[in-house]
Amino acid sequence: MAVIDVVNLSKAFGPKVVLSNVNLQVQEGESLVVLGGSGTGKTVLLRNIMGLLTPDSGHVAVEGKIIAQLPREELFQVRQSIGMCFQMAALFDSMTVFENVAFGLRRHRKMREDEIRARVEECLSMVGMKGTDQLKPAELSGGMKRRVGFARAIALKPKILLFDEPTTGLDPVMTDVIGRIILDLKHELGVTSITITHDLKSAFEIADRIALIFRGECIACEKPADFKVNPHPVIQQFLRGDADGPFLQDPPPPKRSRQEAHS
Amino acid sequence: MVLTAIDKVGTAVLKATDTFGDFTVLAGRTFTAIFKRPFDGKNLLNQLQSVGVNSIPVVVLTSLAVSMVFAVQLAFGFKQFQAEGLASQVEGLAIMRELAPVITGLMLSGRIGSAMAAELGTMQVTEQIDALECLATDPIHYLFVPRLLASMLVVPMLTVVSVYVGFWGGYLILVGVEGQSAYVYGNEFYKLLAFRDLRIALIKALVFGVIIALVGCWKGYRTQGGAEGVGNAPTSSVVTSSLWILIADFFLTKLLLV
Repeated sequence: MAVIDVVNLSKAFGPKVVLSNVNLQVQEGESLVVLGGSGTGKTVLLRNIMGLLTPDSGHVAVEGKIIAQLPREELFQVRQSIGMCFQMAALFDSMTVFENVAFGLRRHRKMREDEIRARVEECLSMVGMKGTDQLKPAELSGGMKRRVGFARAIALKPKILLFDEPTTGLDPVMTDVIGRIILDLKHELGVTSITITHDLKSAFEIADRIALIFRGECIACEKPADFKVNPHPVIQQFLRGDADGPFLQDPPPPKRSRQEAHS
Repeated sequence: MVLTAIDKVGTAVLKATDTFGDFTVLAGRTFTAIFKRPFDGKNLLNQLQSVGVNSIPVVVLTSLAVSMVFAVQLAFGFKQFQAEGLASQVEGLAIMRELAPVITGLMLSGRIGSAMAAELGTMQVTEQIDALECLATDPIHYLFVPRLLASMLVVPMLTVVSVYVGFWGGYLILVGVEGQSAYVYGNEFYKLLAFRDLRIALIKALVFGVIIALVGCWKGYRTQGGAEGVGNAPTSSVVTSSLWILIADFFLTKLLLV
């Protein structure tokens, strides 16, 4: 049985259809990377998995439990087994790094303060953020915030990790650092994960399978090697990073030649 | 034209019903969540600090100003009938029954209701409330309940402070300026008051506390649209809660004086 089972998932906001009949299965310990252009519904997919949004039709099942049908208390039980890493980290800005990472432990685990401290330090060192526990989120850079967000997400030892565009807006070096951390977490914790990213380099490093969402539909979900050679024009255009092709509904004017651009 | 007008009225009624329903459901969930575990004592203490202790100066200053102005008006009015002695009695009655709870309620809706809306609004647009949900924490229980409890405790306590300050505001004018006897003022201030009046003041303050916290949290929780939304939430919270405080004041007065 798949750990995460997305079945015929559709979601619209008013007249705008964001997801249309999306089907995805993620097996235990598998790492799925979801690619797609901006605004194609990748984050909406994650929010449906977390139960932050309710599907218009279809459903998401986590470990066999249909998320949208769970009573709130049971939904919170399921959420304890999922770690969510937000695009902009979503750290609690009134708390220190330590308090952010300790938040879930304090609320859901009967642990002594020294045990909490040890677990927080362990999580922070896993993401290379040891020694920052007394800083406030406002004192951290974008990459540091993401890493603290990772530490907070893994503190409760979840079985599933969801990463929402963890590298967006970061410089190439920090993007590589984040990619390596995700890879380390995958190997050290053995969790099932879904990562949404635009960074193809880390996508191919992290993924056991890669899915591409195009205009609300999942047009491919396969192993990285197969994905690379998939002849679908949208996939090839996405891999090339080229503006010309079927990917954009409203493509920009044709590219000028180098000589034309300089004249 | 008629159909358009009916359509507009219908849309407005539906929107108002939707808004009222949303507020009622969230209020119901908040009251239910009060009894849920874990009880976050530290969070409640933080709220008592920001809602209560930090609001003392503003309540003291406004209560002093309003009671002094009211005493000036009363002294002037009763002087026309050579009934200056009544000024302190009416001052006591007005402060206890109306001015203290209403002034405290309105000032706190501006100070703490707006702060709650801004804080929760910022948390909403920066996905911190979603992060709470993902950390298996009910935002209603974690954010609304401590603010509601703090507000329910603090507004009545600050109303008592307001009554006390109001006594001295009247004293400054009626004894210090108008030359009434301090002994007579001390006795007359409480002459028309009964225990029932204190009870009325405290019940009003309790209801105002509930209105301030629930409206402030609700407006923050429902914030949409980034910086503009966060900017609108406190304004909307102050306007809505002030309006409801004045409406509730009328009905509570009618109800409690029977």
